[in-house]
Amino acid sequence: MFDVHEMEINFGPQHPSTHGVLRVLLTVDGERIINAKPVIGYLHRGTEKLFEHMAYPQCIPHTDRMDYVASATNNLGFVETVEKLMGITAQIPKRAQLLRVILSELQRISSHLLWLATHAIDIGAMTPFFYCFREREQILDLFETYCGARLTLNCMRIGGMPEDAPAGWLDDIEEFIGKFDAAVDEYESLLTNNRIWKRRTIGIGVISPEEAIEWGVTGPPLRGSGVNWDIRKALPYECYAELDFEVPLGINGDTYDRYLCRMAEMRQSRRIIEQCIPLIKATPAGDIKAKISRVVRPPEGEVYHSIESPKGELGYYIIADGKSQNAYRCHVRPPSFVNLQALPAMAKGHLVSDLVALIGTIDIVLGEVDR
Amino acid sequence: MITQAALMKYLVWPLVKFLVAFLIVQVIVAAMNWVERRLLGLIQARLGPNRVGWHGLLQIVADPIKFLLKEDIVPSSSEKIAYFLGPMLPLIPAFIVFCLIPFGPGPMFLSARVNVALLLILALTSTGVYGIILGGWASNNKYSLMGGLRSAAQMVSYEVPFGLSIVGVLMICGSLDLVNIVNYQANNAWNLLPQIVAAFIFFVSMNAENNRTPFDLPEAESELVAGYHTEYSAMKFAFFMLAEYSSMLVNSCLMTILFLGGWTIAYDGHGLTTAKLISMGTFGALLGFAIFFAKVMFFMLVYIWFRATFPRFRFDQLMDLGWKWMIPLALGNIVVTGIFILIGQERLMYWIGLATIGAIFFYLSRKPAPSPTKTAHAHKVVHAS
Amino acid sequence: MQVEHPKPRWADRFLLLDLFEGLKTTVRELFQPKVTVRYPEERLEPADRFRGMFRFSYDRCIACKLCAQACPIDIIYIDVHDEQREVDGKMKKLKVLDRYDIDVKRCMFCALCEEACPTKPKSIWLTSKTYELASYDRNDLYFNMQELEYWDDRPKYTGLPDEDAPAEIEGQKQIAGGHE
Repeated sequence: MFDVHEMEINFGPQHPSTHGVLRVLLTVDGERIINAKPVIGYLHRGTEKLFEHMAYPQCIPHTDRMDYVASATNNLGFVETVEKLMGITAQIPKRAQLLRVILSELQRISSHLLWLATHAIDIGAMTPFFYCFREREQILDLFETYCGARLTLNCMRIGGMPEDAPAGWLDDIEEFIGKFDAAVDEYESLLTNNRIWKRRTIGIGVISPEEAIEWGVTGPPLRGSGVNWDIRKALPYECYAELDFEVPLGINGDTYDRYLCRMAEMRQSRRIIEQCIPLIKATPAGDIKAKISRVVRPPEGEVYHSIESPKGELGYYIIADGKSQNAYRCHVRPPSFVNLQALPAMAKGHLVSDLVALIGTIDIVLGEVDR
Repeated sequence: MITQAALMKYLVWPLVKFLVAFLIVQVIVAAMNWVERRLLGLIQARLGPNRVGWHGLLQIVADPIKFLLKEDIVPSSSEKIAYFLGPMLPLIPAFIVFCLIPFGPGPMFLSARVNVALLLILALTSTGVYGIILGGWASNNKYSLMGGLRSAAQMVSYEVPFGLSIVGVLMICGSLDLVNIVNYQANNAWNLLPQIVAAFIFFVSMNAENNRTPFDLPEAESELVAGYHTEYSAMKFAFFMLAEYSSMLVNSCLMTILFLGGWTIAYDGHGLTTAKLISMGTFGALLGFAIFFAKVMFFMLVYIWFRATFPRFRFDQLMDLGWKWMIPLALGNIVVTGIFILIGQERLMYWIGLATIGAIFFYLSRKPAPSPTKTAHAHKVVHAS
Repeated sequence: MQVEHPKPRWADRFLLLDLFEGLKTTVRELFQPKVTVRYPEERLEPADRFRGMFRFSYDRCIACKLCAQACPIDIIYIDVHDEQREVDGKMKKLKVLDRYDIDVKRCMFCALCEEACPTKPKSIWLTSKTYELASYDRNDLYFNMQELEYWDDRPKYTGLPDEDAPAEIEGQKQIAGGHE
């Protein structure tokens, strides 16, 4: 009796708000989305194949480029996986561990700032973009002072760190985190209570906890639905077990809860760094690398290890054949790739204008999705 | 008999006044482009355009040159006549209205004194919708069409609260003539106070009429639908932008005249009323114009301020707001104003308005509540063991 | 830790205080000093450890090829040959560097080559604080041994006068690292 006019629209690879080259094939009825199918592969560079031809230390700059927004955590995941394979996790000096934690948490803040900037500007609020980038510039300056690069850090090595913290770096970090809480208050004053923001984000993209676990979603999308799973607490690595921080959980699993979770995570990361600084000052300077040979040749075996990157659970699966300096196979479990699978479920029934909010709230980075 | 004096009085002199006003308006509109980009930049922790000329002022010259010299791409499958007519239609009412708006005290600042000026202005600005529908349809692009229709639906829906909010002002002032409304405010107080709800509705409707944030969905680049002016390049696009800024200027002028007392700064007849300004001769006239200009500029700056601060509404939320909130609120305002006038307590409305504004400033001066993302232990530090 | 949704007061709802708070924030930011650095008249000085363009020292290099091995993308091309040379009165077999080329346009400036270099001080280092490597010609970005050691460290395309350019070195050809 009624004929439904379904239209297929291409939310193309070239679009200001797909955060990279993501193509979403939308089946819409008027403005309601019936199905949203992500099509990926536009940024595939064959990273995993490249890993098979490079020695383990040479792979580290390539891991930077997967999730190019949060490269320190990518480095950390790879380096920890190889250390686990070699069995030297316990030999990493305390100072190196603390440096790794500080860099990871700074990277988490930086990644969440970029997320907030792009999410807000997609929904129409253009000013938080510039405020977030101003803080992010300070973090990138800190990275530059430490390892020489701002974005693709290459800041960790198998067995420890490449160099020690330069003089004054820890004081700069302390200065930054002293002002950071007020900066987050500023972003929140523009968004959290704003009724327009709430209308655009409350009730959009709801995932129930069971659905989230079924889809394999991790990170803030999972915690936004109320599931208490953070690898830093559940399977602690580095020295997270000794640090005091909280994991924010959402209530309803909608976009607003994920937004609140990420804002709270930024504050908790600041708290972690605040705790690490006196701890690192208490360790002997210069003790930043375990005693391993320069040529990294792990024994035969396979290992899977995951860490909590800003986007979710970042996992590396390495098969080593014991004889060569390259991995036999290195597979990366990117959090954005798995979280993106939940997009059709989240988008069903919403309007096309909500799709940009949804892509923003899953926080995908196409470098990671496509590798 | 058409005498020379009549010709001068009814044709030549108003035309001259209109042309002068029109030129000034064009200069302001061109400058607004620079002001918007610069101010937006400064709010956003960056500098706006500041390279072309002293503080970027030559940008005002560079942009029109760019528009004039750009290649004018006309889609081959578009409907030619409608395509060319599209950008011009919003411009016409935006320009004509300037002969009805008084810019200062005295007959020298008003081209045509019409005793139903407000009604005429409302009618003229409503015709601006045609250009958008025509532009969107003539582009032969289904996304432009959707964008154009949405924009048209938005503008038409917000015409209703736009008009209804003015009724409260009319009930108090008793006249549709803009000069009379300003003089009434000089004799009492600014209409902002008794009609604060109407002022708010008027301002929101103004933003929606002009497709400005938070209602700028038809222009938003990050949404799927590209908007009615996608297929227009060079000067035709510039016409749409010109129409938008002119329309913003007209609405700001209306807002000042209706709610902020126009060119007067007076209370209960004391202060700079129209009579006083006229009695001060040329200086008074210029002073009146300067006051009016300052108030209009304030509203233009508020437009930019809003654009910098707020996210945008989704389209269905926008229509929701217009039909389910603004219109009942405007109708309620009319009823309440009517009741107050009936019982003779008009002055009470002024006090209520003043109390509302006072309450807003009071709450703003206090520190906001801490955000829900902070924890109680945010500052506990683990000491090295 | 459960994040709570903020509970608006009666005043917040009716007086639109949430919107006004946002307006207050933006107007406050309007009067803060801006952080923009007006390039190219003002430049930011990179940090000491900044990984920029290479510098090479022929004298220090011992032609061990460890940098070429360490490079993840194999852009260091080294050719050596053995020679018998007189050192302290004895004939010693030394390695002589024939070719040391770096294809800078494919470099990702990861500094693994610098880390691998065994000499003290290093023969190849990236801490030259130069990042302005843009060039109009692709071939300008393939650096041979002489260019790596002696490139001019101020790009020529800014149009600004070159007051701090290094003095001409006698007998050596000055090859710019950018547009000629």
